[in-house]
Amino acid sequence: MNLRKREPLIFERSVPGKVGLDLPVLDVPPAADTRPDHLRRESFDALPSCSEPEVIRHFTRLSQWNYGMDQGMYPLGSCTMKHNPRLNERVASLPGFADSHPMADEGLVQGNLALIFTLQEWLKEITGLAAVTLQPSAGAAGELTGVQLIRAYHVANGRKRKVILIPDSAHGTNPATAAMAGYEVLDVASAADGTVSFEDVTDPVSGKVKQGLTSLLAEHHDEVAGLMVTNPNTLGIFEHRIDAICKAIHDVGGLVYMDGANMNALVGVARPGDFGVDVMHMNLHKTMSTPHGGGGPGAGPVACTKALEPFLPRPVVVRDTVKVGEGEVPQHTYRWDWDRPKSIGKVHTFFGNFGMLVRAMTYCLSHGGDGLRDATLRAIVNANYIRRQLLGVYNLPIESPTMHEVVFNDAIQARNDVHTLDIAKRLIDYGFHPPTIYFPMVVSGALMIEPTESESREELDAFVDAMKAIAKEAEENPDLLHQAPVTAPLRRLDETTAARKPVLRWTKG
Amino acid sequence: MRYLPTADAEDRALLEAIGVRSAEDLLSGVPDRLRLKRPLDLPPTASELEVLRAMERMSALNKRFRTRFLGAGAYAHFCPSAVDAQISRQEWFTAYTPYQPEISQGTLQHIFEYQTLVCDLTGLEVTNASLYDGGTACVEAALMAVRVQRKRTKVLVSEGLHPLYREVLRSGFASHEELSLVDVKLADGVTDPVDLAAKLDDTVAAVLVGYPNFLGHVEDLKALSDLAHGKGALLISVTQEAMAFGWLEAPGKVGADMACGEAMSFGTMTSFGGPFLGFLAVKDAHKREIPGRVVGQTTDLEGRTGYVLTLTAREQHIKRDRATSNICSNQGLIALRANMWLQLAGPEGFKGLAAQNAAKAQYLRARLLELPDWEAVDDAPFFNEFPLRFTGDMKAMRAALMDEGILPGLDLTPHLPGYKNCVLWCATELNTRHQIEHLIEVLARVASVVG
Repeated sequence: MNLRKREPLIFERSVPGKVGLDLPVLDVPPAADTRPDHLRRESFDALPSCSEPEVIRHFTRLSQWNYGMDQGMYPLGSCTMKHNPRLNERVASLPGFADSHPMADEGLVQGNLALIFTLQEWLKEITGLAAVTLQPSAGAAGELTGVQLIRAYHVANGRKRKVILIPDSAHGTNPATAAMAGYEVLDVASAADGTVSFEDVTDPVSGKVKQGLTSLLAEHHDEVAGLMVTNPNTLGIFEHRIDAICKAIHDVGGLVYMDGANMNALVGVARPGDFGVDVMHMNLHKTMSTPHGGGGPGAGPVACTKALEPFLPRPVVVRDTVKVGEGEVPQHTYRWDWDRPKSIGKVHTFFGNFGMLVRAMTYCLSHGGDGLRDATLRAIVNANYIRRQLLGVYNLPIESPTMHEVVFNDAIQARNDVHTLDIAKRLIDYGFHPPTIYFPMVVSGALMIEPTESESREELDAFVDAMKAIAKEAEENPDLLHQAPVTAPLRRLDETTAARKPVLRWTKG
Repeated sequence: MRYLPTADAEDRALLEAIGVRSAEDLLSGVPDRLRLKRPLDLPPTASELEVLRAMERMSALNKRFRTRFLGAGAYAHFCPSAVDAQISRQEWFTAYTPYQPEISQGTLQHIFEYQTLVCDLTGLEVTNASLYDGGTACVEAALMAVRVQRKRTKVLVSEGLHPLYREVLRSGFASHEELSLVDVKLADGVTDPVDLAAKLDDTVAAVLVGYPNFLGHVEDLKALSDLAHGKGALLISVTQEAMAFGWLEAPGKVGADMACGEAMSFGTMTSFGGPFLGFLAVKDAHKREIPGRVVGQTTDLEGRTGYVLTLTAREQHIKRDRATSNICSNQGLIALRANMWLQLAGPEGFKGLAAQNAAKAQYLRARLLELPDWEAVDDAPFFNEFPLRFTGDMKAMRAALMDEGILPGLDLTPHLPGYKNCVLWCATELNTRHQIEHLIEVLARVASVVG
């Protein structure tokens, strides 16, 4: 517990001469100074001089102003905040893995190559696709890799395609990724049930017509490189016409990219490769429990069809089977194949966030096939339990079946001038991390709740009770919510001034 | 399964409350034709003990070395014990991106301090919370330079950049037909100013040079940036070994307009190349073009100082296809390692460690050159890495070292034209004099056998 209300910046504690690291005795002659005079480092402006206990206390106090998964439910929708097993951390720090070097000869890192090969095989089984690369270091990096594969495929087939279609409910990274890969983005309308609409949709308020898939494909049939679709979508709803969507895109020569951010709803239940997806990424930091780390590191492996495999980032790990006698267990050796003439090249300096791959492998091995499916089902049960308990208390704008997350909004509370932000901030006073808010943008004032499979009934009930109490407060004492949070170390922060007059670092002053 | 709260009774209670008979009933949104009708073909559920044993066996398939002289973009340095202990706190490692600032001030203040230190090390004014790694940081930096420079579409890349960084750059630029990358040659192990001058014109947005470069050599940023600025191009310094910032002047103070690279050296294991820590620092005038998360200082309702994610109008969740990049949160926990490492090291510790790196590398080079089959290739000043040409049997030499538990430097033959039969040696504060003498002893033995 941090009883202090303020921890100064470390720079304010600095006293010249104090040290937090004692140097070992230099056992070779001191360095001759070969640097040109103007390239010699003389001093630092900010680097602090502090003792070890001071630095430890500084970070410990700061840490105690963070809310973490081990404290309680963290229902951040689309982020899949599940339990982070300590075993995974222990395994990733085994010296055999942690000390291994990316530029070492492949014969010296057979364990790493075996791990990469095996995890790829497992992700192929989970996604139902033919090939996997583990190189992308995050979801967004996976998306970019996937779209680059689509681009390389079209270029290799001599097709000029410049458009990527993206449903308006998509995560912002989808359009940003398509643009980064040199594509023009066209929005696809959502149907009333929240899924991709084939028909054009007229906005009841503005009267504006938004194009559905059918008319977009008719108009741009020779320009469409592909579609990026999230499934289950950002409303936690399974795209029940996904096979028809894939067929429509394939019919015009396009490819389908699936954003696998929500794979926690599908593992062991349905496989994107089976319903026509050509390429997708998975977030190992979501589905496979690698810790979120206050914002990374993650890992965003990409799975794809046979047709896209030649374009995968290089190098690709290859397994050779050593011939053994009859009845003996086959022995394998592994090597890198760099000779990939059609490869899009590299999307990470080395082989991706390897330490995260070790954790994901450990997670899969712990669960096993049955355990992974059980986790999926439990995640869906938990989301549906919350949906059932909060139905009528909060407005459920779209009633399609809920998979692993449920999206409510503030329509009921707005009558008392209480909005999504107020509800979220008040949850903090009840001891919970708020859900994802104001996303997806197709729902006004969205509250996107993803409990994950890690939550027990007791924790779910505590969350539900808090949400109900807040709804009651919204009726009886709305100002209480406008003032929230009141128990956190700080009250609401002024983000407008922060952006208008940015102070982005400490300066001596 | 120990991670799932599924006692049977509890399950039933949940299902009853929902109004279904089984969890399967909740899959009604997934049409039957699209469901997987068989169990996943994966191993069975396993206990912690079994998993640990299996993973230990797998890790043991990697060969471990007592002594390492391999750097080439991934450096083994000392990490104070306090760093690992701190990183293991759940408040750091189980939390997510600080979207709710009131309960994320720990992460936010740490990032603000980290940003301050990256600016201090690079001599520039604005940086972000992190990028994936050194190679992808080059892509972000080059694309940002093109945005800042508007009509200019060419980026010059020194052949002294890490070959894998250059490959990541090529991959990142492949989607942009309107943009081009042009290589600038090396002369005596550093960027050739004559070739650079010849290739600079008013279509060049930026020039990327290593500092130190892939060969460990110290580029004269001042001279190169003068050349670039003369033609209106930006100079981007790329640092693959951030320990060098304790030895070399901040790039921003000697002409660099942007500085990017890899900061894994501050408290992160080599871990087969990731997770590492990309960074990018820029001038204040360019701050609204920087990619990624940025933290800023502000106040709360009661006027108390606090920190928030800011300048979000650049980012994908607001700007969608007009964002500066698709990047979201990335290497958060690795940035925390770097921040704590740097705060523990302090100015004296950091400069002192860097000077020890330089001393060890100089000693190693001098000792190697005393052997008959090692030759200097170029004469540029270096930090903790340097290339030497080997006139003997490369394969036999490397095998002999590995047998003795020594991981040799990188064989440059497949990596850099002009450096056939050269080895890129790296020495850090972890390499003792004893290790260096042992290396020399084994090499001398190999030479006498072969010779």
